[in-house]
Amino acid sequence: MKSIQRSLSLALIATLLLVALVLVQTSLWLFESGLRRSLETDLREETEGLLIALVKGPNGDQLDVQRLNPRYQRPFSGHYFKIELPERTWRSRSLWDASPEWPERAGLADELLDGPQEQRLLGYRAEYRRDGQPIIISVAQDYTPVLESFARVRLSGLGLVGFALLALLLLQRYAMGLALRPLERARQQIAQLQQGQRQQLDQQAPVELQPLVEQINHLLSHTEDTLQRSRHALGNLGHALKTPLAVLGSLVQREELTAHPELQASLQEQLEQIQQRVSRELGRARLSVDVLPGAHFDCDAELPALFDTLAMIHRNGLDLRWQAPAGCRLPRDREDMLELLGNLLDNACKWARSRVELSIERSRDGFVLLVDDDGPGIPAAQREQVINRGVRLDESAEGHGLGLGIVSDILTAWRGEWSLEESPLGGLRVRIALPATR
Amino acid sequence: MRLLLVEDNVPLADELVASLSRNGYAIDWLADGRDAGYQGASEPYDLIILDLGLPGKPGLEVLRDWRAGGLTTPVLILTARGSWAERIDGLKAGADDYLTKPFHPEELLLRIQALLRRAHGLANQPMLQAGGLELDESRQCCRKDGQDIELTAGEFRLLRYFMLHPGQLLSKTQLTEHLYDGETERDSNVIEVHINRLRGKLGRELIETRRGQGYRFGGQP
Repeated sequence: MKSIQRSLSLALIATLLLVALVLVQTSLWLFESGLRRSLETDLREETEGLLIALVKGPNGDQLDVQRLNPRYQRPFSGHYFKIELPERTWRSRSLWDASPEWPERAGLADELLDGPQEQRLLGYRAEYRRDGQPIIISVAQDYTPVLESFARVRLSGLGLVGFALLALLLLQRYAMGLALRPLERARQQIAQLQQGQRQQLDQQAPVELQPLVEQINHLLSHTEDTLQRSRHALGNLGHALKTPLAVLGSLVQREELTAHPELQASLQEQLEQIQQRVSRELGRARLSVDVLPGAHFDCDAELPALFDTLAMIHRNGLDLRWQAPAGCRLPRDREDMLELLGNLLDNACKWARSRVELSIERSRDGFVLLVDDDGPGIPAAQREQVINRGVRLDESAEGHGLGLGIVSDILTAWRGEWSLEESPLGGLRVRIALPATR
Repeated sequence: MRLLLVEDNVPLADELVASLSRNGYAIDWLADGRDAGYQGASEPYDLIILDLGLPGKPGLEVLRDWRAGGLTTPVLILTARGSWAERIDGLKAGADDYLTKPFHPEELLLRIQALLRRAHGLANQPMLQAGGLELDESRQCCRKDGQDIELTAGEFRLLRYFMLHPGQLLSKTQLTEHLYDGETERDSNVIEVHINRLRGKLGRELIETRRGQGYRFGGQP
């Protein structure tokens, strides 16, 4: 995955390296050219000194050794000269037997000369004229110490750059952490959204993130609105279909029809089929199938009301109980969860003698929901059939299958699993396993 | 027993009015939520059957207003909105029972009977029992000392009202208000005639007359 931090660090390293190299190299070059200019002056003065040391003797021109700087006498001292007259030449004793490539042109030599003992020499050639004869004086000075110190400066410069780079990287990391904190917060909020711990992202985002946060929030509320609208429309459709069905159901009971029992029974059967089909399809269409990432079911808030409703509808002194972990929130849509539990518990209440229990437990990879009753139960051989009947639309029938069709639809949408077992209370236990993630 | 039916679907309301009348209930029918809100709170109904999708004002709001105004009349919600989330909303608004359409007509009658008995603090048993009598509401006859006694529709209505209010002093006005719907002309002599006939069939001591106050059923204080 691409990390903003990493790409920013790479860009920073590349830029810093480039700038540092150019800077170190340029400053070294400028310094060297200044140094050479000052050395050039020194060397010119040396040639002038040598010119003075060239005196007229009894045997013509001769070099006055007294006037020579002693460093020209010490072998490989790093200071050398060569004086050329038309008829004779002097070399400094320091040269010993080396013969460097003296410069051809007057002035400072562009290239360094190879000197004795691997010295690198800076050469200078001056041309004079005395008594009508040309005098060419070349001097050279060992440049190696300068080169060495330059290399040292370059090395320590690079070390400094490396150190600065490290410090800047750490600083940048810290600054990035500060700057990216809102982004990290948004990432955490989206994670919470997926776990059903919040419905909206925090509006207090920095300007750069504002459009993103707003867009996500807008999308969330839009999806929620759409879901509400479609549920409302389905409610209206249900109303429009079920009220006439209720009228028909009542009309069938009329005395005029009791005279024709076969006709009455047939009409009733057909009506029953329409009713079941309508209920099932409307129920299925109402399912949100988890279009909302933030949807959740708050057990403590919803279960008491659900159990009050069940107690109100059944009213036969049933002992209804539920237990769930404290603060339990199931990451599923509230209405879907109510529909699932409502149908299962309603079914249990219809069959129970005195007790119905719901327990919700966390399991390793999700939640386990158990609905127990102390009714007659279902023989093991038929349990499979009841579950399959719930699955197969065309055969869902009254009795224990009632309402289990929609249970099956919901669980299919949630990728949950369910099974029927014998309850410790003596009746039927419905076990539902829900995966924690959607 | 006087019931208010609030239902905007005319064919269904016609059916329900006919079927409930056959079972000895006096029915007032309203189709508009606003009318129901007013009339439900001002007339002395024994039970209200309320649809939720009403013109004028949603049924749940009507119910909330009634409860906020202190109305304790039992309310049975009769609606096509059958999801559990909606049932819970109905209960939270103050409903006493919730029946979803489509329904079996007998189911509605049984729920009404159960709700009325519960509202009067009587146990939910198959037969209504009071003052040594058993009333079979589906056959509209009563048993005394193991003998079936046939009743006319008017006698049945009156006896059921007495049996739901055993030992209570009931004025003649109260009886007429609860036994006839809002459109029937009220003639208090009819009540007297029915009471005399009931005394003839069940024994004089069963219904006591308190001059200037009214009647009392059941003999206990």
